[in-house]
Amino acid sequence: MLELDQLIQEAHVRAAASESLAALDEVRVHYLGKKGVLTEQLKALGSLPAMERPAAGQHVNRAKQAITELLDAHRHELEQRALAKQLASDAVDVTLPGRGQDPGGLHPVTRILERVQALFTSLGFRVEEGPEIEDEFHNFDALNFKPAHPARAEMDTFYLKDRPLLLRTHTSPVQIRALLKHGAPLRVIAPGRTFRHDYDVTHTPMFHQVEGLLVDAGVSMAHLRGTLTDFLQRFFEKDDLKLRFRPSYFPFVEPGAEVDISCIFCNGTGCRVCKQTGWLEVLGCGLVHPSVLETCRVDTRRYSGWAFGVGIERLGMLRYGINDIRMNYENDLRFLRQFR
Amino acid sequence: MKLSEQWLREFVNPRATAGELAERLTLAGIEISSVTDALPAIDKVVVGEVLKVARHPQAGKLSICDVRISAGKQLQIVCGAPNVRTGMKVAVVLHGGRLPDGTEVHVSQLRGVESQGMLCSARELGIADDHSGLVELPVDSAVGKPLVQVLGGADKVLEVEITPNRGDCLSVLGIARELGTLFDLDLNLPQCAPVKPTIKDTLPVNLAAPEACPVFAGRIIRGLRTDAVTPLWMRERLRRAGLRCVHPVVDVTQYVMLELGQPMHAYDLKQLSGGIVVRMARAGESLQLLDGNTHTLEPDMLVIADSKRPLGVGGIMGGTASSVQVDTRDIYLEAAFFPPQTISSRERKLGVQTDAAYRFARGVDPTGQTRALERATRLLLDFANGEPGPVNRVAGRKNAAAKLVLRQLKLRQLLGIRVPEREVGRILSRLGFRTRKRAHTWEVRAPSYRFDIEREEDLVEEVGRVFGYDRIPAIAYPSTQRMLPLPEQQLPLARLRDILTGRGYQEVITYSFVDGPLQQRLTGGPGIALANPITTDMTEMRCSLWPGLIQTLRYNLNRQQKRMRIFECGMSFIPQHDEITQENILSGLITGSQYPAQWGLPQRVADLADLRGDVEALLVASGAAERLEASAAPHPALHPGQSAKLYLNGVDLGWMGALHPILLREMTLDQPVLLFELRLEPLLHGRLPKLAPISPFPSLSRDLAVVVDERVPAATILGLVREAVAPQPIEVYIFDIYHGPGIDSGRKSVALSLILQDSSRTLTDEAADATVKHVVRQLQDKLGATIRD
Ligand SMILES: [Zn+2]
Repeated sequence: MLELDQLIQEAHVRAAASESLAALDEVRVHYLGKKGVLTEQLKALGSLPAMERPAAGQHVNRAKQAITELLDAHRHELEQRALAKQLASDAVDVTLPGRGQDPGGLHPVTRILERVQALFTSLGFRVEEGPEIEDEFHNFDALNFKPAHPARAEMDTFYLKDRPLLLRTHTSPVQIRALLKHGAPLRVIAPGRTFRHDYDVTHTPMFHQVEGLLVDAGVSMAHLRGTLTDFLQRFFEKDDLKLRFRPSYFPFVEPGAEVDISCIFCNGTGCRVCKQTGWLEVLGCGLVHPSVLETCRVDTRRYSGWAFGVGIERLGMLRYGINDIRMNYENDLRFLRQFR
Repeated sequence: MKLSEQWLREFVNPRATAGELAERLTLAGIEISSVTDALPAIDKVVVGEVLKVARHPQAGKLSICDVRISAGKQLQIVCGAPNVRTGMKVAVVLHGGRLPDGTEVHVSQLRGVESQGMLCSARELGIADDHSGLVELPVDSAVGKPLVQVLGGADKVLEVEITPNRGDCLSVLGIARELGTLFDLDLNLPQCAPVKPTIKDTLPVNLAAPEACPVFAGRIIRGLRTDAVTPLWMRERLRRAGLRCVHPVVDVTQYVMLELGQPMHAYDLKQLSGGIVVRMARAGESLQLLDGNTHTLEPDMLVIADSKRPLGVGGIMGGTASSVQVDTRDIYLEAAFFPPQTISSRERKLGVQTDAAYRFARGVDPTGQTRALERATRLLLDFANGEPGPVNRVAGRKNAAAKLVLRQLKLRQLLGIRVPEREVGRILSRLGFRTRKRAHTWEVRAPSYRFDIEREEDLVEEVGRVFGYDRIPAIAYPSTQRMLPLPEQQLPLARLRDILTGRGYQEVITYSFVDGPLQQRLTGGPGIALANPITTDMTEMRCSLWPGLIQTLRYNLNRQQKRMRIFECGMSFIPQHDEITQENILSGLITGSQYPAQWGLPQRVADLADLRGDVEALLVASGAAERLEASAAPHPALHPGQSAKLYLNGVDLGWMGALHPILLREMTLDQPVLLFELRLEPLLHGRLPKLAPISPFPSLSRDLAVVVDERVPAATILGLVREAVAPQPIEVYIFDIYHGPGIDSGRKSVALSLILQDSSRTLTDEAADATVKHVVRQLQDKLGATIRD
């Protein structure tokens, strides 16, 4: 008996000393293998007197079970230890930066253009484009710019060499093209590049506008004010944004107006940006001049319309703080990446 | 235009501050862009009388003056001005006073003599540029009176921005009329009563071009004092309006122009021979104008001439030869009307800009000539004496103002509000319209000075702007009942932009005009030239976006940005005989390493295949990536061995390649630059996906390496493989290209991976092997390929 207890004790010590599964298996073979100590003991039972055999067998089997259990327990522990070790060695520095391509981004002018388009398409305006090299008819004549009128000279137009063509000075010619193509009723916006012979902090020879046009029955200044209020409040995400209509002159609208918004930086109390006036000029607009509608063969007894034109760089200046609009076209990556 | 508030208030004087006037005018369409003080801060400056002038014992150029500054008070002041003399009235800065430039004046010692104040020049006082001597105040100025009062008192200057349709507002009278309407006040007009002629002299006037000059009025004035000086108050008003004083007669004509809006001209009578002829210029005539240049006149220019020669260009500028001089005693004063249409193009041709032309181009009252002559005569005689002759006014046919009808209904319909009828009548008549009320309408005739009133809508604006745009409510126009069409087979451009930005590209926007020589280097042909480019490196419309992208590259390389992935989408302009094709294109440029510097990824310079991957990605959205064909072709901008013309479904799509090494060298670029340029239109053809059945049968993959002639394009190999397997589906890709040991020079090994499938049953290994065998045979037969084990 003592012998078996000693054996279990000894197996315990040997198992505990096993550092690997292989070593542990050697211990198992030593005790429980075909020629193992306990196996030999069981074989030796036959030499015992029959009376003693059952009790002795029981003892040996109990010892075998005890050793099997302690070996299993230790195997489990070794496996746990191995797993823990593997997990530990698998650990990575999760703070390392990710790998791969670095995404680019859109130009700020595109961001603004898309924002304006999204707002107007949600109101059912379709997007129209027109050519950037235009003729006098679409850029001036059809828009009620009289020949030799100072308003025409004030446009600082680029002309082509040897061709009777020019670079459009505004997106308004698209009004003409869209009306001639689709007729009334119509609601379109026309985003695009425009060109004027001018270069300083607030002017680049190329810039972007979005033109808006709505022609339908009974359209009034009140409707113009309604849509522009909606647009500018949504654009600047300020539901308390106020609009101020100042009478102004654009040959293709009558009545015409310039629109100021309450300063978004000081809420109208006066600051450096609004030059203490509380107002910021944002766009020009008006009711489409009847002679423009007539040129486009729209029945002016039935229809009237409004139009507006807004400078995208101006919106970018107010929204993103791009105060020197020349930066838009230097394309410095350190500038552009801020608008990703 | 700058205007004195004081002057304006002589015409109409509302109970409101200058700031309030500015705001009301601005909100009525007369924009006041600034309101500033008319006088600089001049405190403790008074009128003094020089009683005695003595030479400074230590300094020859300095004088010691005794100056009386009040009844019983005298100061001793040291002064260096050459024009100081006894009896002169001067501006004296007292002890403790301060000049506009900040200089403080104290009692001080000047070379050993005490000076108890300072005598000033006009420039020191900030009221004119003159610094040649002391400002000489009128002899009747009261000694001790503050200078500010002598100069007409404190005042504001309004800077007015007049839109080109409102020529009638380019005067004190015009702005006053607006204010009178806004505040419902009558105007006090200045004294313009006829001045009784004291001599009979007149010049005959022949209106030989009545279309270009329908009204011409003039008068002779003889015997003006040559020592007359423009009164200080008039000089001050001119200064506040931003004009310089030139000559008493000219100053008066300028004053009247500012006040009434009628430009005038004065001739030296002795330079005129015979009468005045208003005619078109004759071919070959030339004339020295007051700008100092001799201009060759063209037959479409109107001249004011005498019987011998042209004197000036009508409505634009007078000539030097007949202009008034310091010693001019007898003058001929002219006030004429030139219609707006004829002015601006002539002004441009002559390359001059004058206040007169500015006004005539925007419209001057055709009935205001006599009034202006009388006003000018009165002002001139008041300080320069002279004997006026009678006014001689010659006029062509007068156009009566057209009758317009304003309907109450239209007014309400366009403004979206109802303006009370009484208010409509009041506004129109205050503005000078003659109105007659009918039931629900008004019959309206515009005043002679309004050139912008042609139809009913113009009247609507007049009523609306005075009534106040801010009284118009905001009303949403009812939205349409139908949604916009949304063609699914038309891709939005935003989708392509997103693909590129996702692949690391930054969008740029470059100018549509580019450097001509650079563009010609890059495209091989001239683009469309501008007649008036803004700079010498923006001379041509771009026919490719590459010049702009390359400029952007250089700009950023100069700022230490060595790795770049940029794209732009925009219009190109391609000359085709008489036509111009304006087409949207999408172009990109990459340079530097393919990936940003990072750990665990070796740096690798981007190459053409990287670029092509981006081009293919753009086509995925339209489902056309497999139909992209690239064939080697030369392009002036590209490396001859790395240049491909691209086709989509057999149609021209664009180009891709590496920038030519010679161009790299010319532009001192030391790293490869890869470019693509694609027509946008084909890229936007989307597709409507139709689900194809997904095979339930497993696929088998086989790898194979074939050795072929180096020049065999990969596209040919892939095409042959697909063709050999058709109609069974196959995915095939190249996983390696190898040159080197084991491969003959001039040949290359192409390793292919084939993923085979049978759409109707499970593909067996035997069937797969048979297919590969067939593929190999095709490659052997058609390309002379050998198989590499
Ligand atoms: Zn502000």
